Amino acid sequence: MASVTYDNVTKKFGDAVAVDNLNIHVDDKEFLVLVGPSGCGKTTALRCLAGLEEISDGRILIGDRVVNDVAPKDRDIAMVFQSYALYPHLSVYDNMAFGLKLRKVNKDVIKKRVEEAADILGITDLLNRKPRQLSGGQRQRVAVGRAIVREPKVFLFDEPLSNLDAKLRVQMRAEISKLHQRLETTFIYVTHDQTEAMTMATRIAVINKGKLQQLDTPQNLYDSPANLFVAGFIGSPAMNFFPAKLRKDNGRLIVDTGDFIVPIPADRSKVYASHTDKSVIFAIRPENIHDAAFLPPNIHAEKVEAKVDVTELMGNEIFLYLLSGKNTFVARVDPRSQLRVGNQTQVAFDMDKFHIFDAETEQAIR
Amino acid sequence: MATTSMKMTSMPKRGKQGFTRRALLPYMYLVPAFAVMAVITFYPLIFQVIISFTDFQTKDLLKQLASPNLHQIGLKNYIDIITGGLPVQNFEFFRVLTYNFWWAITNVAVHVPAGILIAVALNTQGLWFKRIYRAIYVLPVVVPPLVVATVWRNIFNEQYGAMNQFLTWVVHLFGSTQVIHLRWLEEYTPPIPWLLPNGPLPLAYYAMMIANFWLGWPFMTLVATGALQSIPKDLYEAASIDGASSPQQFWNITVPLIRPAMVPAAIYGFTLSFNLFNFVYFMTGGGPARSTEILVTFAYDLVRNLRLYGVAAAFAVIVFFVALVVFLITNRITRATESYAEA
Ligand SMILES: Nc1ncnc2c1ncn2[C@@H]1O[C@H](COP(=O)(O)OP(=O)(O)OP(=O)(O)O)[C@@H](O)[C@H]1O
Ligand SMILES: [Mg+2]
Repeated sequence: MASVTYDNVTKKFGDAVAVDNLNIHVDDKEFLVLVGPSGCGKTTALRCLAGLEEISDGRILIGDRVVNDVAPKDRDIAMVFQSYALYPHLSVYDNMAFGLKLRKVNKDVIKKRVEEAADILGITDLLNRKPRQLSGGQRQRVAVGRAIVREPKVFLFDEPLSNLDAKLRVQMRAEISKLHQRLETTFIYVTHDQTEAMTMATRIAVINKGKLQQLDTPQNLYDSPANLFVAGFIGSPAMNFFPAKLRKDNGRLIVDTGDFIVPIPADRSKVYASHTDKSVIFAIRPENIHDAAFLPPNIHAEKVEAKVDVTELMGNEIFLYLLSGKNTFVARVDPRSQLRVGNQTQVAFDMDKFHIFDAETEQAIR
Repeated sequence: MATTSMKMTSMPKRGKQGFTRRALLPYMYLVPAFAVMAVITFYPLIFQVIISFTDFQTKDLLKQLASPNLHQIGLKNYIDIITGGLPVQNFEFFRVLTYNFWWAITNVAVHVPAGILIAVALNTQGLWFKRIYRAIYVLPVVVPPLVVATVWRNIFNEQYGAMNQFLTWVVHLFGSTQVIHLRWLEEYTPPIPWLLPNGPLPLAYYAMMIANFWLGWPFMTLVATGALQSIPKDLYEAASIDGASSPQQFWNITVPLIRPAMVPAAIYGFTLSFNLFNFVYFMTGGGPARSTEILVTFAYDLVRNLRLYGVAAAFAVIVFFVALVVFLITNRITRATESYAEA
């Protein structure tokens, strides 16, 4: 069990910077998820920690120990690869026992640990099989089992669920969370799937183009994204963005998108006053836009004219794709909504739940 | 064919006539091929078995089986070959057979590990001029063995051969003024008993091992390189995290994973060396004193120089059975080494 620290870590491949001055501190027993779009440097960051890539600059610490020059095998970590990287010529048992055998662990201890891990993962029946005789989900479990038996200080996962079908992915997600609670060890988990990140992490590090964008709990990331990238990346369907100007109008601060105008509630206008007459991005999540006919009680609603372009009926809710002038946006509305394609209507923005970003710096104005 | 007819019978029932015509059709396609094979393969084979029971010699060439001087002598040729009753000097069947196996096995035993090691070395990341090395090592594969044998014959020449010159240069480095005059291909006894074991193996054997190594390793390296490149890199990464050092990775990952490719290659190398006629024939001609003779060179000698056609035929039949046994064994080994490829 140990904490992990990325201290100004940079990794370059030639001139290309894959990880750019990364600073993350992961507490002991934490479940940290590194999330970001494809090619943002998540895998590279993880491989640097594992010792599979040499870092170009900075320090990596596991516990209090700087591991920059420590070989992978001496870092006391275990890694689950995206491809699983099971040894094809070894049985499931031997795959799991391999690391312990190399470390000359007593045979009985190996047997006990492998059987325990197999029991936790429900693969006891498969111990004598070869990897090619397993399904994708079973291989994934074996790969996790191989990591568990080593009893490392830190577990590293590189998109372990991306090769599974949707249903199995949901199930394995829960199992990995349970495993984390049971093992009480530091987990560092890489994914490009924000749902995975939101459901499993104690904290999430959002990365884009090699740079850390925000590091916070899932709820905080969702409720107060630090910048435009995080706002757009976390949440599905994604947050709606409207390029706009902040203006003073009769003493009130208003958002003018050019197609519609919404006033900023008095209690929040103080925060944004400094950006008066500047270009901003007005942002609001789809679930905070309602069908005016089915308004939840006690919300501070502002009506906006829009035309329904596409509807997606999900059963428990309806996604409305709306047009307002040059802006398109999405609303998640009550399933009883009668709005249909082509309707000109009014939708209600919940004015307690919007965000405003500086159009130039793309940072949240808070 | 069994599978074809099985498929036919399992098909929905049709009229009887239609069924037989469909069942016969595949055989009919094979008739032309069989006809050609019958003339060029089966007829000579059977003819050879027939004359192996006779004392067929040069005098019978004109009238062949109708020759009045041709005698049926039963198994005499076979017995003579095996018991050493042939009018041929320095020939004992089992010694030649043993040497032949030894020759093939030792060649493979050297070529395969060397080929793998060279492949691993050339597979090192960041190695300079990789492509040039690859182009160079394919060269021996495409040079005809006859040319190779001639070149190496010259290298091992007593008077002006490069090998003796090289050794002379080496001993001069150590301060000796001796000029080396080894008769590589003619001398029976190796010069330094403690370096090269004396006994059944002549000096020529070692000379041929050196020359055939030049001929043999590139193929093994070629196969090993292909096999190495098909091993996923992340297996090594997983192993290094699991705690495997480089040698441990070699033994635990590389060796088992290139085995499915190397075993057939080794078997191919074995059969190739086992019957390496042109190389042996042009290098030493089986000499000195038939000590580097292999089965095929001896069979050729029986016909070409000794003109004992009946004996040669019997010998060929024996060689056929030896080859059959070798084939059955190697075939079994090959099938036992299934590939680990993911399903
Ligand atoms: N060995 C390498 N040599 C050169 N460039 C590399 C190498 N490995 C990664 N990169 C580059 O570094 C960047 C980050 O790659 P990385 O694999 O970390 O992305 P990722 O976030 O894991 O993406 P994905 O979600 O697609 O797996 C990419 O632009 C990639 O092209
Ligand atoms: Mg990746």
